Amino acid sequence: MGKLKGVIIGCGAIAREHLRALESLTNVEVAAVCDISSARAEATAERFRISAWYASYSEMLADIRPDLVHITTPPTSHFQIAKSCLAAGLNVLCEKPITTTYQEFCELRELSLEKRCMLMENQNLRFHSIVRRIASLLKAGDFGDILDVQVIYALNVSGPDVPYTDPNVAHYGLALRGGVVGDFLTHIACLTHMFAGSALDLRTIWAKRANDRVLPADEFRAIVKGEHAPAYVAFSGNTRLNGLWLRVSGTKMYAETNLFEPPRLILRRSRTGEPALMSLLDGIVEARSVLTGTISGFWRKLSGASGYDGLSSLIERTYQALELRSLPPISLDEIDQVAQLVDGLAKPELKL
Amino acid sequence: MKVLVSGAGGFLGRQVVERLLKGGHSVRSIIRPAAGDSPWQDDVEIFRADLRGHGELVAAFDDVDAVVHLAAATSGNEDAQFASSVVATERFLGAMARSGVKRLVHVSSLVVYDWSRARGVIDEGTPLLDDMYGMGPYTIAKIWQERVVQKFAAAHSWDITILRPGFIWGPRHALIAGMGRTVGGIYLMFGPLTRLPLTHVNNCADCLAAAVENPAAIGECFNVVDGDDVRVWRYVREYAKRKGPSGILLPVPYHVGYGLACLASLTSHILFGSKGKLPSLLVPRRFESQFKPLRFSTQKLTRLLCWKPPLTFEDCLKDTYSV
Repeated sequence: MGKLKGVIIGCGAIAREHLRALESLTNVEVAAVCDISSARAEATAERFRISAWYASYSEMLADIRPDLVHITTPPTSHFQIAKSCLAAGLNVLCEKPITTTYQEFCELRELSLEKRCMLMENQNLRFHSIVRRIASLLKAGDFGDILDVQVIYALNVSGPDVPYTDPNVAHYGLALRGGVVGDFLTHIACLTHMFAGSALDLRTIWAKRANDRVLPADEFRAIVKGEHAPAYVAFSGNTRLNGLWLRVSGTKMYAETNLFEPPRLILRRSRTGEPALMSLLDGIVEARSVLTGTISGFWRKLSGASGYDGLSSLIERTYQALELRSLPPISLDEIDQVAQLVDGLAKPELKL
Repeated sequence: MKVLVSGAGGFLGRQVVERLLKGGHSVRSIIRPAAGDSPWQDDVEIFRADLRGHGELVAAFDDVDAVVHLAAATSGNEDAQFASSVVATERFLGAMARSGVKRLVHVSSLVVYDWSRARGVIDEGTPLLDDMYGMGPYTIAKIWQERVVQKFAAAHSWDITILRPGFIWGPRHALIAGMGRTVGGIYLMFGPLTRLPLTHVNNCADCLAAAVENPAAIGECFNVVDGDDVRVWRYVREYAKRKGPSGILLPVPYHVGYGLACLASLTSHILFGSKGKLPSLLVPRRFESQFKPLRFSTQKLTRLLCWKPPLTFEDCLKDTYSV
């Protein structure tokens, strides 16, 4: 059997992450890349030794019939490109957020079902090594019942020298609901959905702290009533301490991690015994976790591992599903539920 | 002559505009929309645009005789620099192609050369870097920017001149990469006796204007340096004298620094293969491109354009530190 063919539309930073992941797959060949900038497309093709590059995706898809189209363009273009690909009967792996509105997603979902094509969103955090570890402990019953979930995204989007606030050229994220914060809601929603279950209800607060910046909002908080547990989710755009913290509390175990710094994970188990001794034991275990996690994380950076832990696995599983004609790594229903949650989170109920 | 200058609001751009005005030319400056008030009086036409945006640019070329293309990013990550230097150049030159203007002076950089393959001296015949993806974002962007310029020029039969300046310095820009690095409280000066490819901003602007004015520059590339007699030690000493020491000064012979970079690179390769990542100082090719002891020839500038820097090193010091 020949190799599966992939093509990339959009040659920015995230496309390079897709291409690095694809380099390690022996059963996949990247047939071409495309970008509206010829130079960017050509540079990407040269760098990854890809034989063809295009400045028009219609021309590329007229010449090449790929098994999977990776859409790595800015979010406002996702819908049109994905729609054309699905209409042509092509499978799609689209960057997050898959569309800018839930209605657009529904249209793509119907089209993918009608054309029997795979429609996949890059929810790479589902396959993040630490997220998988917490999920497997949860599945094994180590957590007991889930009491609550916290997902806190902290990224400086409001500083004077960050691209999000460029006064000369509007950042693509400003076209999303919630502005550039909207670009991160999929990550928050996907983790919430994984650990708290489908959202039954939610309340949001949106705020703008840096009033001299172009951002419509730079702070966001929400409480989500999940099918399995409540979740507190947040985005802070004014911090200088960047991170993506996931905290899962169960009746028997507590897990805390910063997903920007894998593989550091702190687990605390309920123990029986003398409280003072157990507290000492917890401290020692925690210190060991932090130390080994930090050293492993540093080693990981030196090794050149992708900062997008989970993307490689998602891409590999997607091609595997295409090759074996098996179920996709993320079901359309899961993508739908995350898209609905993103839609809900993007609605400001209370503005500060 | 009416000259359009892109990147006119930048460190070099402002001096180029001043020098062109002094030369009796009329100037139209492209500055960014949010750049504030024009730094010039009514003697300069202002065209507000960001070349990365989607605004129409053809009108900027109306009645223009020559274009000086300076717009480029000097900081930011790879994508930001590629967008600001390369994609912006594609848009800018796309508009120029629709305008009928044929004369272009493009400002590139000495970083486009393959410093590893340079033997003894860097001149215009030194091979260009062709495998640039292990280098820094600035190098990648400047090489691709020059490639885009060459492609457009060939496709539209333009009269182009490419200028490749070394370290451009001047008021508020006296810190240059070739000086070394501060690590903790220690200032590491690599290769104290290495010659620096310096060009003071006023000298560089003068050279650019000379290239616009002199038809002998058409179809040529020139390296722009004021000379190569200033060594790292002297430059750092002059800086420290005026700005104060920035830590304990530790001179590191070039070959010691390069050897450490090679050792780190070999270790990374053994442990992680080709995917290993190291800080730029520990990547041998990147180390070479900043600190390799070479000479920098100005022969071509002298021979073809009869150009000599108007300011001496002492004049430049006075100009730089009097602000």
